[in-house]
Amino acid sequence: MATDVSRLVDAENGRISRRIFIEQEIYEQELERIFARCWLFLCHECQIPRPGDFFTTYMGEDPVLVVRDGNGQVGAFLNVCRHRGNRLCRAEAGNAASFTCAYHGWTYRNDGRLVGVPFIKEAYHNALERERWGLIPVAQVESYKGLVFATFDAEAPPLREYLGEMAWYLDAFFDRREGGIEVVGGLHKWIMPCNWKLPAENFAGDGYHVTWSHVSAIRAGFGGDFRVGADPTGVALSPGNGHCVMTVGANMNADPPAPEIQAYEEKIFPEIVQRLGPRAGTLKPVAGTVFPNFSMLKPTSRTFRVWHPRGPEKTEVWAWVYVDKAAPPEVKEANRLAGVRVFGPAGVFEQDDMDNWQACTQTGRGVVARRHPLNYEMGLGHDRWNDDLKAVASDYRFSESNHRQFYQRWAQLMAAEKWSELKS
Amino acid sequence: MADDLLRDVEQFFYREARLLDERRFHEWLELFTDDVRYWMAGRRTRYPQSSKAITVLAGTRRDDGDIEDELPLLDETKTTLIGRVARIDTGMAWGEDPPSRTRHIITNVEVEPGATASELTVYSNFLVYRTRAETEQDLYVGARQDVLRSVDGAWKIAGRKLILDQNVLLPKNVSVFF
Repeated sequence: MATDVSRLVDAENGRISRRIFIEQEIYEQELERIFARCWLFLCHECQIPRPGDFFTTYMGEDPVLVVRDGNGQVGAFLNVCRHRGNRLCRAEAGNAASFTCAYHGWTYRNDGRLVGVPFIKEAYHNALERERWGLIPVAQVESYKGLVFATFDAEAPPLREYLGEMAWYLDAFFDRREGGIEVVGGLHKWIMPCNWKLPAENFAGDGYHVTWSHVSAIRAGFGGDFRVGADPTGVALSPGNGHCVMTVGANMNADPPAPEIQAYEEKIFPEIVQRLGPRAGTLKPVAGTVFPNFSMLKPTSRTFRVWHPRGPEKTEVWAWVYVDKAAPPEVKEANRLAGVRVFGPAGVFEQDDMDNWQACTQTGRGVVARRHPLNYEMGLGHDRWNDDLKAVASDYRFSESNHRQFYQRWAQLMAAEKWSELKS
Repeated sequence: MADDLLRDVEQFFYREARLLDERRFHEWLELFTDDVRYWMAGRRTRYPQSSKAITVLAGTRRDDGDIEDELPLLDETKTTLIGRVARIDTGMAWGEDPPSRTRHIITNVEVEPGATASELTVYSNFLVYRTRAETEQDLYVGARQDVLRSVDGAWKIAGRKLILDQNVLLPKNVSVFF
């Protein structure tokens, strides 16, 4: 019996129950109705450029093997042997024509087909139908501008439709220049003792915390210019389907305080406006979340990340650093260093976030604390659809408009039994 | 290497560890040369060359030891290390407020000649216990490779490379120094 979440999320009045951040039953329902249903980010195509290249990840708590097969086609499968359910591939990445399970030696080709079963003649009397026992594929896998996503739900709309008006904002992060982006080195993986929705909502719309949570790093010279006085414009935007973007005004300089990056950004700005259209000249997207758990950031540190859920009180974050492919080497290097120094587990900004999200989760263990809803009222009644921006827009840079849109979508998905019940 | 040199290096490390555990970060910064590179990375999980779990289709395998081109956890200069200490000094570095309580254990010290006559290459292992607030606790365990340079008769750290052995880092953050 599904929990009725309609009473837990009151987006209209900006009130959200703490139960959705702490209760195991609600978490289990999220795994079914959010993570086994939505389009989830897997990896960037540049991580698996050659035939046979693979990357192992998760969709919700399900282990997934992403692999480019011999024909160059990207596939994604449960990383689970069909025989006893052992984890098939144990490495994070590599290159393989075939994968062999460590338990009994069942072997699968990189297109998912079961090609080897020890003693199939003697022990199975050749009766095992190998073609029926290949790896379980995801329902759909698609790329958008190099970002590979998949869904376990065959009824989910195509990726481009799922992204909707968010696609333009993704372009503003990942397709600003010819060639798009590439990732630098590997990725950071670490455990956060918090509910996955806290970082997802933070990247979706919490410009408010920057000037207080991160004031120490800004004062020590690690951040960009976050003074509201420098340019008070900028808005929180919800382009639909629970996706969210934060923007600052076009005159705001929130880029990393590195001369190579500053000069580069100034130089390519007209080119970006040319490529993306006049909207790119009026605002700068700085952070966002593709519903439910893929987030991105541009100022101070160029990072995108997945918040893998690991129970109501645990999140495993996988974070990449990205650069424009067309950027010169010294700009790429400056972005790599900014990415490492400012975000990631040792980042001078990010290390303070985990600490806050941990306590925001754990105080909900108290049954009395849990009775009192959280306040998401900021900017209530001051947000409306903007035709130029193709999004619900706040009227001030700091607003919880995006949070409310995010949780409204969350509540819709949690209540619906299938995609057809949802209006996109 | 002579025993007294080894002893000298060990004492230098122990003093450094005590400065960190007593949160005397400004004195700790003085132990570094201005040209220091301070670098830390985690470990990868890859199939080794000999593994029969996969058959390789294209190219060469990458070993789990190949981490030089991975995304590091720290890639710092003297200036950014000073900035990290200045950040804590603001009184608003919330991840360290209340502060971590640490115990740095440095072992397995091996001293080898360095690139120049005034330098040593020193290998060691570290175990850093961190506890904070009421019940938080973390272990950071790994290997360290230092370049020690003799400057006016005292050792300075001219290079530090730290390898944390965990793949998915279990601590929520790396807000302490090593």
